[in-house]
Amino acid sequence: MSCACGVKAIRLQVQLHTCSLRPPRAPPSQMLSALTPSLPSMPKLLFPYKPQPRPTLATAPLRCFSALTPELKSTLDKVITSNKVVLFMKGTKELPQCGFSSTVVQILKSFNVPFETINVLENDLLRQALKEYSSWPTFPQLYLDGEFFGGCDITVEAYQSGELQELLEKTMCS
Amino acid sequence: MASRGANMMLSRANRIKTKLQSALEATVLEVEDVSYQHAGHAAMKGTSGQETHFNLKIVSPKFDGQSLVKRHRMVYDLLADELQSGLHALSIVAKTPQETSAK
Repeated sequence: MSCACGVKAIRLQVQLHTCSLRPPRAPPSQMLSALTPSLPSMPKLLFPYKPQPRPTLATAPLRCFSALTPELKSTLDKVITSNKVVLFMKGTKELPQCGFSSTVVQILKSFNVPFETINVLENDLLRQALKEYSSWPTFPQLYLDGEFFGGCDITVEAYQSGELQELLEKTMCS
Repeated sequence: MASRGANMMLSRANRIKTKLQSALEATVLEVEDVSYQHAGHAAMKGTSGQETHFNLKIVSPKFDGQSLVKRHRMVYDLLADELQSGLHALSIVAKTPQETSAK
């Protein structure tokens, strides 16, 4: 990503949202930087958007706006199919920033399987897009072999029942 | 059924109970507000830390034949408005009556 693209992205975001989105910071992983090239080419809004006063973090002013552009969708398709185990989480594998995300990371580490993590706290647009992409409003989100597996509760239950171990063995061998 | 205005006066826990009870015909429905346990964490900074995290236990015949992901999605769909207005996370236990009596 060149500096010019980054500047364009910031300008575009300021036009679209005057409230909750922060300008994107440099992403830590190469995977995440690959997910944001679509930002400069985001389509214009087809309907008027009235700027809202800055809401709290919990209220997302994105009801009338889809964060999931076709480019972002196809990039996410590639991410989840090119890695057997992908976890969209809050924080990183080394430093989770949420108890639920941390639990799933620990479970995956206990199986000694390689897994990729993406920190959704780094990028609000990605965070909103993933909720649409997965039809799942919360994080963490675990994908196994290109398919959405579940969040923390489902992962814990599958871990306790042994189902997760079987599925991971099947995934790693395929 | 209470009007929308009157509904908003109820606590989030009560609104959750009402929505889930009527849609899922739950035989068991427990809603526990555990927001205080998450008030310190990173994503909660700048919020009041109230009514943001709940534990749900639901036993409903409507979950029969549904995978866990589908069951959780049913609950999330019913609570979409709450999730848009400050509800941050849900821990969900979703069982059918047969599954609970089998234990």
